[in-house]
This record gives sequence, C-alpha cells and structure tokens, in this order.
Amino acid sequence: MARLLDMGLSAVLLAGLYATMAYGLGLIYGVLRVVNLAHGGVLMAGAYLGFCLHERFGIDPYLSLPIVAAAGFALGVVLYQGLVRRIPRGAAGGPASLLLLFGVWLVLRNLAYLVFTGNDRTIRTAYVASSVAIGGSHVSVNRLIVLGISAVIAVALHVLLRRTQIGRAIRAVAQNADSCTLAGIDVHRVYALSFGLGTALSGVAGVLLATIFSFNPSSGSSELLKSFVVVVLGGLGSISGVALAALLVATAEVFAILILPAYLTTAVGFLLLVLVLVVRPGGLFGHRVLS
Amino acid sequence: MTAIRPRAAWRRVDVGCGAACAILALLPPVLELSAYAHNLMTLTFLMIAGALAWNWMGGFVGQVSFGHAAMFGVGGFVAGRLMLSLHLPAPICWLGGAIVAGIFALGAHPMLRLRGPYFSIATIGIGEASRLVFTYWDRFTGGASGLSLPLDGDLKYQLYWWALAFAALVAASSVVIRRSSLGLKLLAIKADADAAADVGISATFYQDLIFVLSGAVVGLSGGLYASYFSYIEPGDMFGFDRSISFVLMAVIGGVGTSLGPILGAVVFVLVRTYLLASYPQLYLGLYGLLLIVIILFEPLGLTGLARRVLRRIRPAPGGAPP
Repeated sequence: MARLLDMGLSAVLLAGLYATMAYGLGLIYGVLRVVNLAHGGVLMAGAYLGFCLHERFGIDPYLSLPIVAAAGFALGVVLYQGLVRRIPRGAAGGPASLLLLFGVWLVLRNLAYLVFTGNDRTIRTAYVASSVAIGGSHVSVNRLIVLGISAVIAVALHVLLRRTQIGRAIRAVAQNADSCTLAGIDVHRVYALSFGLGTALSGVAGVLLATIFSFNPSSGSSELLKSFVVVVLGGLGSISGVALAALLVATAEVFAILILPAYLTTAVGFLLLVLVLVVRPGGLFGHRVLS
Repeated sequence: MTAIRPRAAWRRVDVGCGAACAILALLPPVLELSAYAHNLMTLTFLMIAGALAWNWMGGFVGQVSFGHAAMFGVGGFVAGRLMLSLHLPAPICWLGGAIVAGIFALGAHPMLRLRGPYFSIATIGIGEASRLVFTYWDRFTGGASGLSLPLDGDLKYQLYWWALAFAALVAASSVVIRRSSLGLKLLAIKADADAAADVGISATFYQDLIFVLSGAVVGLSGGLYASYFSYIEPGDMFGFDRSISFVLMAVIGGVGTSLGPILGAVVFVLVRTYLLASYPQLYLGLYGLLLIVIILFEPLGLTGLARRVLRRIRPAPGGAPP
C-alpha cells in the first residue's frame, strides 16, 4: 500500500513535467496546425543549454529558465520566419512540414553531438540528492520544484491566453485565420509569436527534464511521443485538460512498471497513443484535435 | 503537374530501364568488379528496393513513415534465425522474413487508421519500441552483440544478381502500381481521404494493403542484407538512422514519383559512404540540411530538378509549362 502511494506521488510529480512538455507542442499545433517534429530536438537543446549555463557560469538550472525561454523564443521565431512560413498550409503542406521539421531535429541533434559528444549528461546541483518527507514517503526536492514551476507555467499560460490582447489574437487565429486577416490581425506575426512561444516552452521543459533525468543528443523521441499523447488526450481547448491528460499518462507510465519489464516502459507512451486514438480519437474531453 | 505522356515515351523509359538492368547484370563477370565495388552496388540495389517501397507509403499514399527500420529488422532477423536454426535454403529464409515483416506491418493495423501527423508520430513510436524489444530479446536476436550468419562466398557473389533482380522487380511494380487504377485510388486517398471514401475507395483498406506490401519488400531487403553482410545487430537493423535513410532516399530522389527513389538511393549510398569515411561526425546534420533544402526549394527532389532541366532543353510543345 505504501508502495502504491509512493508511485501515485511520483506520478503526480512527473505529470507537471509532462504537461509542460505538451504545452509547447500543443500551442504550435493548435494555432498553426503544424506538428512540430523538432519538438524532441528542442527539448534536447534546452537541456544542453541549461547544462551549459550551469557548468560554465554556475547558474542554477531553475534560474536559467528565463534565458532558455528567451533563446527558445528566438529559435522558434527564426524557424517560423525562415522555414515553416514557406510551406503551404493545409493538407498539401502536411508531409512537407513534417519532413522539414524533422530535418531541423537532425541538425540540432548533430550540433549537440559535435559540441557535447554522445555521452550521457546530467545537471548536478548541490541539492540534487536532498529530499523532504511527505506523509511517510521521501520526495526529491528537485521533483517538487519541477512540479511547482510547471504549475506556475500553466497559470501564466492561462493568463496570457485568456486575459491579454496577444492571447486573444492567438486564440482568434487558431479559430479562423482568414477572418483574422479581415479583422486586421497580422496573422504571420501571430504565427511567429505562437511558434516562438511553443519553442520557448519546449526549451524550458527540456531544462526541467534535465534536472531529473540524464540526457544525450539522441534524447527526445520518446518525449516527443509522450507530449503528443498528452496533447491528443487533453485536446487543445483547455490548459487544465492537458494537465489532466499529463497526469493520466504519467500514472499509466509509473504503474506500468508493475506489469511490464523496465525497458518496455518507453513503449507505454506508444501503446497509450494507439489506445487513445482507437477509442477516443477526439481526445478525452471532447475537443477534437484534427478534423 | 506534368502533362500525361504519350505511350511511346513511356515505352522508351521502359526499354531504357531494361537495358540498364542488363548492363548491370553483366558487370561483375565482364569488369571483374573489386570486392568493394561489388559490396557498394549490392547495397545500392537493396536500398533502391527499400526506398521504392517506402515511397509507396510515403509518396503514393502520402503517409510519411519514420519507422520502416522495424520491418527491415524483422525481415533480416527472421531470415537469419531461419538460416541458423532450421538450415533452410537462403531464398526460403528471405521469403519467410518478408512474410513475417508484412504480417508485422499488418499488426500495426490500429495505427493505420491514423493519418497525417498521427501516423508519422506513431511510426516513430513503433520504430523505437521494436528497437528496444528486439535488443532485449537476445534469445532471438543475440541482443546487442547481434547474430553471425554462416559465411558463404558463392552465395555472397550471387547475391549481386538476387539484389539486382529484386530491385528491378520492385521498380517495375512501382511503375505498374502508379499506372494502374490502384495508383489512381492511392492518389485519391492522398489528396482527400474523405472524398475518396465518398466514391467508394476505402482509405483504411488500401492503406493497409500498401503498408503490408511495403513492409514485406523492406523486410525482404533486410533478409538479403543480412545474408550479404552475414552479420546483423539490432542497433543497426532497427536503428533510427535506418528509418531515416529510407525517408531520405525517397526525398532526395523525389517523393511520390514512381522511379525517383532509385536516383535517391544511388546518391544516398554514395554520399553516405563518402561522408562516413571522411566526416562521420557531420553526416546526420548534413542530411538534415539536405532535407530542409529539398523541401523548401525542390519538393520533388532530383526528379523535380531533372524535369526542370529537361523543360529548359526541350520546351513542351504548345507553350510554356505551368
């Protein structure tokens, strides 16, 4: 029983991270209808940036988040203006945008190999091993901070999308880009903004990931898969939907250890994806993701 | 789009391809190819077959797969196992591998209802999951240290023709599929699956069919590869690089064209051999750049480029092409 409680707790802690990963992918998909296949690469790049800032300049990974977010935003805007913008929208551009962003992922991956070699890295902070007792079980301080930051990000994103002029523009473009043009909204600017914001979120999620797990240049494909599962499961309509879906995925993954051999837990994301798409292609909460 | 060519022009292409095959078939005895050249050409034939088969799915149906290595690996390891444990003649082992690979692809049936990005991301998952499963399943695959198959010099020499015949067969099938009503149905599905369903073309059925065929061909190519190199290991057979290579060959040659991937495979194998020898630390990124450049500037790859050059040389009768 104590073990199950422990597992439940670690699922909750993991869920925050998964939700943050998914916001980046979901925002871009929701607004531009483009699946950012470079998402895994951006996560990896964010992790390395956090690692670098910590090793070189001694900046705590959590304090480096604004820097990583800014870098991610810049990367996203450049990717949009330089590449994604040139691809036709709609069905014709589907495979093209996938292949294009996949190419970006390969480039990012190769850059990481060149700069950091293929070795596994971890971000070692002074408090990496410290833990606090919560109701009889020990919880790593790191994981608690990650959960806290994820909650802050979720609230911030909610406020940005619901309470600001920019957020209103983003939501309007997501609904109907053509009408937005008529209403005088610069659609391409909103697209660039959303792509930047999504990439920034991915980068931040990468740093959070790096504080908990080890990583190398080929990291990112299973994270991409999980983020996608969460986005599909949670739908694009609500931030709380994504959070709930993240909790579900994290729980499934943590408890899968009870029945599956450890090396197969990576496949849980895939199994969930297939299950969800077969059973509820519209997502659990009714917001259909893809028409 | 290019105008529909007259029949005579098609026949000329057919004759050209046939002649090329005949010349290639005569090469080893006439020129006494070095072992290196023999190796490279056999590998190219196998990759041509794989790239064409990927293109059936990625180009004809328009479903981009990032997980074709799974079928390549299954075909290779099943063939290898059949050879090692049952000592069956090689062609039967290859066929066995191809059939199992096809069934493996069919096993992904629930996935096949997926379209577009859903499908692509699910194939990344399938690729990764099968790499893990087969790496840990060491009774079957020998784990990370892989399988060594019995060396057979004669068979290795003959594999040149097996691979050539195989590639030629797959190329011919590509052309036949493209020209047949099946090809038109696939085009309809690619353009709009819902509209295709309205006129009685089941996207699910044809997608299944093509995926099974494509998987079996890639599996057969994996089996021949295993025989030729007589050593296989899961990291290479199921690796992400392997999956990417199928995508790249098709994209370089021209996604959706019937014979473009042949060109792509030739270029890919040559460039890869050169890059791996000279700049092993750069080749992944260069592929990424290549992918980006092709998609942005010439979505039909080398085929598109060739068409452009041809139009320059010999403008279409009746005015400028669209």
